[in-house]
Amino acid sequence: MMLQQTGSVQLLCLTANSGVPLFTRGACKQLPFSIIGSLNGVHMFGAGQGVVLGGCETDRGGRVVWRVFQDSVMLIAVSAGRHAQQGSGSGDSGEGDFQMRRLLENVWSCMVLVLGQDELVSVRNVERLKRDLRSCYRLIDQLLEGVQGQQSTMGDLTHCGDCLLPTNPALLQEALDGFTQAAESEFGCLMVHGRIAAATDKWWRLAPQEVVLLSALARTLSGSASCDFPVFLPQGSPNVAHRLLRFQLLLGADVCVLCGPSPTLNRAESELVGRFWSPVVEALRGTLAVGERCLPGSVTLRPDVLAVLLINRESRRSVSCVKTVSAHPSPHPCSPPLPSKTRCWELLRLFFTFSATRYFPLEETPPTLALTPGQNGHGEDTESLQEDFVLGFFHQPLQCYLVTDECKCYGLQTGQHQLYLLTPLSVPTFALRSVATETLSALTAAKGF
Amino acid sequence: MADKVCGRPFETDQDARDSWRPKVDYPEDDNESNSESTSSSYSHSDYSDDLEPEWLDDVQKNGELFYLELSEGEEEAALARATANQCLPTNHVRFSEKEAEVISEESRKRPERAPTKRETKLKRLARILRRKRRPSQRRVPDGEAVDPSSRPASILKNQLGQRAGAQVVGQQLKEVCVYLNPNRLGSCSPTPQERGGLLEALLGVVHRPSWGRGQGDPTGRREERITIHGLVPNSPAIKSAQILIGDVLVAVDDVDVTTENIERVLSCIPGPSQVKLTLETASPGGPDEGGADVSSAPRLRPSPPASQLVRLLWGEDTAELQMSLGHTPHVIMYLSLKLDSDSPLEEQEILYQYPVSEASSQLKGVRGIFLTLCDMLQNVTGGQIVSSSLLLSKHLVHVGYWKESNNLLVIGLPADRVPLLYLQTVVEGVVRTLNVMYGSLDRAFCQEEHTPKLDHFFCLFFQQIIQPSRLSDSSGATPPDLSRSLFLDGLPAVRWLTLPPEIKMEVDTVLSDFESSDFGEMSEDFYGMRRLYVTLGSCLFYKGYLIANHLSKEDLLDVCLYCQHYCLLPLAVEQRVGQLVIWREVFPCQRTQNQTNKGQSSGLGYYQAQGRYFLLIVGLRHFMQCVLLVAGGCAGPALGSPGPDCVYVDQAKATLLQLEGLEAGMEERLAAPPAPCLSCADWFLPSAARDSKLAGAVKRTSSAQGGGRGVGRSWFGGGSRRPSPQRSLSDSGSEGQPERGTTGQTGISPLSTPDSARKLGGRRDSLGSGGSDGSGGSGSMFKIPRMKHPNPFYLGTLKKSLTERETEEMYNTMKLTSGAENTLFHYVLMETVQGIYIAPTHRELAQLSGSIHPQLIRNFHHCCLSIRAAFQQSLPPGGRRGADRPKGSHGLGPVKEHGVLFQCKPENWTDQRKPAPTLTYWVIGRMLLEPIPQEFYVCFHDSVSEVPVEMAFRLSFGLAL
Repeated sequence: MMLQQTGSVQLLCLTANSGVPLFTRGACKQLPFSIIGSLNGVHMFGAGQGVVLGGCETDRGGRVVWRVFQDSVMLIAVSAGRHAQQGSGSGDSGEGDFQMRRLLENVWSCMVLVLGQDELVSVRNVERLKRDLRSCYRLIDQLLEGVQGQQSTMGDLTHCGDCLLPTNPALLQEALDGFTQAAESEFGCLMVHGRIAAATDKWWRLAPQEVVLLSALARTLSGSASCDFPVFLPQGSPNVAHRLLRFQLLLGADVCVLCGPSPTLNRAESELVGRFWSPVVEALRGTLAVGERCLPGSVTLRPDVLAVLLINRESRRSVSCVKTVSAHPSPHPCSPPLPSKTRCWELLRLFFTFSATRYFPLEETPPTLALTPGQNGHGEDTESLQEDFVLGFFHQPLQCYLVTDECKCYGLQTGQHQLYLLTPLSVPTFALRSVATETLSALTAAKGF
Repeated sequence: MADKVCGRPFETDQDARDSWRPKVDYPEDDNESNSESTSSSYSHSDYSDDLEPEWLDDVQKNGELFYLELSEGEEEAALARATANQCLPTNHVRFSEKEAEVISEESRKRPERAPTKRETKLKRLARILRRKRRPSQRRVPDGEAVDPSSRPASILKNQLGQRAGAQVVGQQLKEVCVYLNPNRLGSCSPTPQERGGLLEALLGVVHRPSWGRGQGDPTGRREERITIHGLVPNSPAIKSAQILIGDVLVAVDDVDVTTENIERVLSCIPGPSQVKLTLETASPGGPDEGGADVSSAPRLRPSPPASQLVRLLWGEDTAELQMSLGHTPHVIMYLSLKLDSDSPLEEQEILYQYPVSEASSQLKGVRGIFLTLCDMLQNVTGGQIVSSSLLLSKHLVHVGYWKESNNLLVIGLPADRVPLLYLQTVVEGVVRTLNVMYGSLDRAFCQEEHTPKLDHFFCLFFQQIIQPSRLSDSSGATPPDLSRSLFLDGLPAVRWLTLPPEIKMEVDTVLSDFESSDFGEMSEDFYGMRRLYVTLGSCLFYKGYLIANHLSKEDLLDVCLYCQHYCLLPLAVEQRVGQLVIWREVFPCQRTQNQTNKGQSSGLGYYQAQGRYFLLIVGLRHFMQCVLLVAGGCAGPALGSPGPDCVYVDQAKATLLQLEGLEAGMEERLAAPPAPCLSCADWFLPSAARDSKLAGAVKRTSSAQGGGRGVGRSWFGGGSRRPSPQRSLSDSGSEGQPERGTTGQTGISPLSTPDSARKLGGRRDSLGSGGSDGSGGSGSMFKIPRMKHPNPFYLGTLKKSLTERETEEMYNTMKLTSGAENTLFHYVLMETVQGIYIAPTHRELAQLSGSIHPQLIRNFHHCCLSIRAAFQQSLPPGGRRGADRPKGSHGLGPVKEHGVLFQCKPENWTDQRKPAPTLTYWVIGRMLLEPIPQEFYVCFHDSVSEVPVEMAFRLSFGLAL
């Protein structure tokens, strides 16, 4: 067994036609070249016979997923099975597959985001491409962490922008709109704690995946005071680069603007940032204080909600939050311990995938706006590699719940929203529904989310 | 030759044959079988005669037998479209001959009955007839059977067949279509020329040129009419049942034929095809009596065609059915992992493959993928590959794997048939069945002689999965519910029918009697021999429901898997089985495992005796008994491959005959109103049509969920003319619900209906169901539903019939539907320990017909697939692969309960002013590991407040949450 660490994922990238390895990420120990070669060879062999190999699964939950993008780049993700001591089996068929497919999609998009599609599709110099691809590593590593449940954002999975609801949204929105306009752009976004606190209308009309990836990129870039980063929008403009300007306003609060050749980073930083953002510093501080909870103080969650994920299906925004365990002591000393915070994130991700693959598919909204009318970034029809279990239903699923050993999960879909909840086992099952509907109305009513 | 042409041996005991053969006159039939079965003693003389059972010829060299004979009506239909037996040497099935039946039927026509005396006489007669070995037997079509006067004539005709030409009174032409397959000729041992030429070899018509006839010149081979002098058994001619001895073959496919050109004409038939024969019939009774009857009988009775299933079981039509799957990629392969690259042979790693057709060619082409993945994934991730997904020219195909020692079983199935979630269960089912049948996959696939049987096995398997509609008889009504069969067949359990205790006791007694092997004078004891087999146990099915089981759970599942794969259970639902005898050696999972582990367990001082196991399945009409026998141990060891022993088969038949007396009781149980009480989804949803008919009928549908849609809406069908008090009451009921609902602390859903509205709802529902019956008067509206679906609290005799636990379960299901309104739509309860499950019977479902209800049931089953898949991941891996896998907290962790709320809207809702009414309902599954492992799936209307639901679960299983 070559992937030692349980749940670890290794990502392989090769050129599709020649099988030259471009990079390998994830998993501490790299797979031997012979294995990489045969993983690639198996898919190539199938393609020669008119068979597209999509993925496979082992009895311990190990999984390999293949996908070729634009006939030029082959991405393979290999996830190790659970160890014998730990594994609970292969039951997560649909879920694991969904996560891995999302991963491949995201990795490809982020390669396009950084390098542009042209460079990836028409490879002239493999060695140079390999060097260039290094600039994607941080972003890809972040995505890999997400798949392994070490991230507290869910955008990579939901393809909905992770939001943070500020206490004073109007003020920040106003500042952002003004700043963006002054920077000769329509695309601006305020990130707090790596989540979107405010964004211009146009920003929201980017493809959901782009919103998610730009957020991820902004997170990896954060740390410096400002930066100017060329980006290609995987769907909006895969071949024409734009500039992503990022300025740190406060520690943990950044503003990003997508713009053309002007203004220069210098000018924007010296002239615009101060002008638009110094008046709202207090509001920013207040927003920073919202912190990981992502919800302003005005919104009270019921005490028996461990974690919540709310998705607005129309605007493709999501708010997710996991309560800290200490704030929520277990009512009965004998009852099983509540899952830890990281476990809650993991469970929330799993429950989302579980529901999304079986009952509440989330793929209706097409990207609405393209910066430059170009070809679609994803010319692949491999999406059909995922079977639609949902299509087998005659009637529409509205709600669902799960009772497991650790917690109870409740999912709910309405015309506009999807809500996913985790509650401790102490909440009676029959009360879950009212907890969920109440939470939904609390979240939506307060913020018009 | 004469011997060859002659009839089949008789049934061993005439009594038995008479009583289980379906008759025209039913009441009499019941009397007869009753009288026989209650006196279950079979006199010595019944068995002492040396008559062979009709299945004896079908026993294979290895002792296996698969003999299926349709009951009269079905057989008739099958004969009409009889096609040549192709392909299957094992499952070769032959129709029984009819002479005995003719006589017995005739005898039944007699007004006064003196059973014993007459029957012995008949038997003697039958024996005499048999010894005479009449050259031809012909079935008498039912059309004639109705008319007693014509019967003697037909018998006469049969007997005097060879002289028929002399008796010609009138002549008529008739056209008979037969299915001819020239390919079969190759398999005949004597070349056609030596025998009667193609006429005899292909068509099965014996013509002796100018033999005993004055027509032609005996010496010169002149052109001569082809008079039929005999019929070859099993030939297309005799199967058509319309070609009679004495007829003259006039034309083949409208080409006039004589002895001169017949061979040439027949040799022009290129391949298997339907051929029209024109015959000049000589009817003894005059042109407008017998002859007309014979020729028109098939047309008069447009009987339903023999179902594809039966023909498939017979091994007919496999090629055609397989062809129709050509566009759907599917394959099963058994591949060797030991690749010998030096070997010159191509495809040598394929140990077995089915189908060998276009459908599988592409998948076969990429077998390298399967082999590589299997090998590689073990190295990379440390687990065995179980599935992979492929895209073949727009078809998504899931491939399931099963590795055994150095070989790999690969099953490819289209994704739209088997969801990935359930693929593993399907594969495991196949593997277990093959293990039961052959002992191990290696033995199944690596022995050449099994290949045709496996072909048949997988033909059935793919047909069931890919085009179940072809197999089912209910043509057109509703497309078969694939999720249902996937889900129910995938459960490690057998469908159980609860019976009233007195019937149950009697059934058990009869089974026990059988199992004691105390066969009276027929037993081996009587002859001082060591007995051949010890009966391990048996189980009994009635119309596909298990009604008694004396097998251990694992054995039961083994037997049931076999029956499932051969579709034996649905077969018995309709009255199809005239006689079914199956005999084969089996390798029950548990017992063979025990044998291999014997070394370890011997310390316990007891271990299962080593022996060989045999499965005997005997079916008569709706009954089917499966018996597991063991040879070795205290019974004599089995040598070679023993065939079925007549004594055991006959005893099983006797058992079934004895049980037929109880059939009335079982029918009563099946006809009983559903308990637990079920509702039809359509009653909760007003249709536009019903609104107009049912002025004032009120429907409350559950509220649509969620913030976006507004909570707690109600719709009232036909609201305009409804009396106002009702409206205001229920309006206030639903409007009284606050937008945010009551808080969770009260434990009542914000959407649960207040009591007043609920009661009203109940009344309204009964109104609704009355309306769905189409009855006009409002008075009857209240009565009709009550008769059909009685008060849930009135259990009547049924209550007594249930075991304690089931009563409890039932009681609680009633609890679930507390209030006047019954909201339970469907349920499945699986008891893992006993390996049984209960669900509403087919008939109960049929009663709840409607447009939405069937959809709901299908949806239920589809959802159950998902729920059960969620449970499966958390099951302690007993029986599942990788038994060393301990539990841990990964993935979502073990799932105990899972529920989904569905919303349905009536299709084509035309009224644009009002929003379409909706119906919301839950599908909930719960898995319990204590006190006894159970899985419970229910489907009920959303309006049940969730407290009663919870109470139902709690009370039902006595569990704290």
